[in-house]
Amino acid sequence: MNRHILTALLRKDLVLYFSNSFFTVITILGLVFYAAVYFLMPTDLNETIEMAIFAPEGALPILAEMEDEGVTLVRMASAEALRTAVASGEQDVGVVIPADFARSVALGQSETINLYFSTNFPDEFKELYGIMFREIAFAVSGQPLNIEISQQILGVDRAGSQIPYRDRMLPLFAIFILVMEMMGLASLITNEISSGTLQALLITPLRVEGLFVAKGTFGVGLAFVQVVALMAITGGLNQQPLLMLLALLLGSLLVTGLGFLIASVASDLLSVMGWGIMGMLALSLPAFSVLLPGVTTGWIKVIPSYYLINLVNQIINYGWGWAEAAPDLLALLLFALFFLGLGVLVLRRRFR
Amino acid sequence: MSNPAIVSENLAYWYGDLIAVDHISFEVGEGEILGFLGPNGAGKSTTIKMLTGQLLPKAGQVRLLGQDVTRRVKALQAQIGVCFELTNLYEPMTAADNLNLFARLFGMADFDAEALLERVGLAGKGKIKVETFSKGMRQRLMVARALVNRPRILFLDEPTDGLDPVSAEAIRNIIREEQGRGVTVFLTTHDMMEADKLSNRVAFIDKGKIVALDTPHALKQQYGKRALQVELLGANGRTELREVPMDTPETAVKIEQIFANEKVITVHSEEATLEDIFIEITGRGLT
Repeated sequence: MNRHILTALLRKDLVLYFSNSFFTVITILGLVFYAAVYFLMPTDLNETIEMAIFAPEGALPILAEMEDEGVTLVRMASAEALRTAVASGEQDVGVVIPADFARSVALGQSETINLYFSTNFPDEFKELYGIMFREIAFAVSGQPLNIEISQQILGVDRAGSQIPYRDRMLPLFAIFILVMEMMGLASLITNEISSGTLQALLITPLRVEGLFVAKGTFGVGLAFVQVVALMAITGGLNQQPLLMLLALLLGSLLVTGLGFLIASVASDLLSVMGWGIMGMLALSLPAFSVLLPGVTTGWIKVIPSYYLINLVNQIINYGWGWAEAAPDLLALLLFALFFLGLGVLVLRRRFR
Repeated sequence: MSNPAIVSENLAYWYGDLIAVDHISFEVGEGEILGFLGPNGAGKSTTIKMLTGQLLPKAGQVRLLGQDVTRRVKALQAQIGVCFELTNLYEPMTAADNLNLFARLFGMADFDAEALLERVGLAGKGKIKVETFSKGMRQRLMVARALVNRPRILFLDEPTDGLDPVSAEAIRNIIREEQGRGVTVFLTTHDMMEADKLSNRVAFIDKGKIVALDTPHALKQQYGKRALQVELLGANGRTELREVPMDTPETAVKIEQIFANEKVITVHSEEATLEDIFIEITGRGLT
């Protein structure tokens, strides 16, 4: 095959590729989507170690050395203020140095430094803070110091009752199931449009509104039954079952609306899968904030599935009740109604 | 027409600059079969969509059974049956389930799927999935579906297109039976022979306009040649054709001379077909 034939074939493939509106849009939209996610995510990475500190004696050589080593010290007004900041999650680590620390160590007396950690602080790093203290103290005095380091966790201490990863992943599983049903619904509608059976249905006394009710009921029912079954099997309904069922119902409404949207743009199973996978990626992003706390920031709340994932996570793992869940339930309801309305509006045009 | 079932008044539809249906007016009487003939793209499907309330006319009005389609679309759709050009059945479902679904949509409480299937020649096939049906069987089922609600008007879009002669004739018989019970039939086709066999009147549509509308007989009278075509055995043993005009003073003498002096093989009247007439009117064929 010579160069001219190769060029002609490539040209032909390019034309064929971009004559398919799905591939054209998915190419551009995919690029925009991933670029948007890139720019929405934080631009910097925190390379410093920040720690709240209360030291009544003020400027101690050990503190100056710590700051020289790159530790950012947030000085607190009192030991109580420090504990409050750590307990509330405002600070992840806090240290209280006793009032007579300098004198005691100079006399070789034993002294205790209290380290406080927030609930979410990883276990693996707690020990490192103690080691860091001892190392810096050694560097300052030139000899091992006679200090004890006491560690305390402020807030709900989950030692011995850590949340298993499978429970953290449950919201992600729920989203995957809902997305699967979303694609199923979209595929069903797309197939009915392309085969002309919808046209036959609509030339009977059946109205478009009735058709939407039927499809909506089917979509919500299918998604709801599947996701409730998952929760029932995994014990997800043991905590606040009614609250959980309501959250899942709203989630099912949301994916039904999204399914309508997909059906309004997809022409066949392949394009349903394409759009569905894009939707799945977007909808599952908030689940990573549950799996890996701290990797996402406030921007994740613009993704509608955040509220469902947060509700499922908080109800199962943190015992949320109706009062705590109310704002997220409202947000989920509004998102569900918005996408359902938008889906009906856009899909309706394909029924004509 | 005393009691028209279908009335189209200045009906028009256009897609951007393309005029699909150009202000057409016609009436179809109750119990009449109107053959709506035209080539692909002539405006047949757009017309049928407007008549059945699937498409809102850009201009003009449609009345079915005396009522405005745009105002009473769902009530009227309950009284019509539509057989689409393309097969749009639920393939994974059985034949009976297909019919029962539509019977439910039409609110037919006493519907008997097996009886209807038997009527269209699909007796015993009710429990078979449609995806295993042949094209002829599917088309019969399409016609059956259009009859589920015992319609007063039947819209049939190319109902025998691509079918074997047996299946096509079976469907024609069903159409005749429906006419027999007073159903009005609007039949779009580009099969001139079929239109000729079935229709009380035919309308020719071309480029969105109705260019002729009358009974097949009247159209043939108006546009056909009145002549006899005589096939003769010549002196050299070859056959030759001779045309004898029928409406001249010399016709009788000429025919007598031929029979007296020549060896006549066959004699035919030269009647124009609907296709000939369509070509004569529009300057082009139907396909």
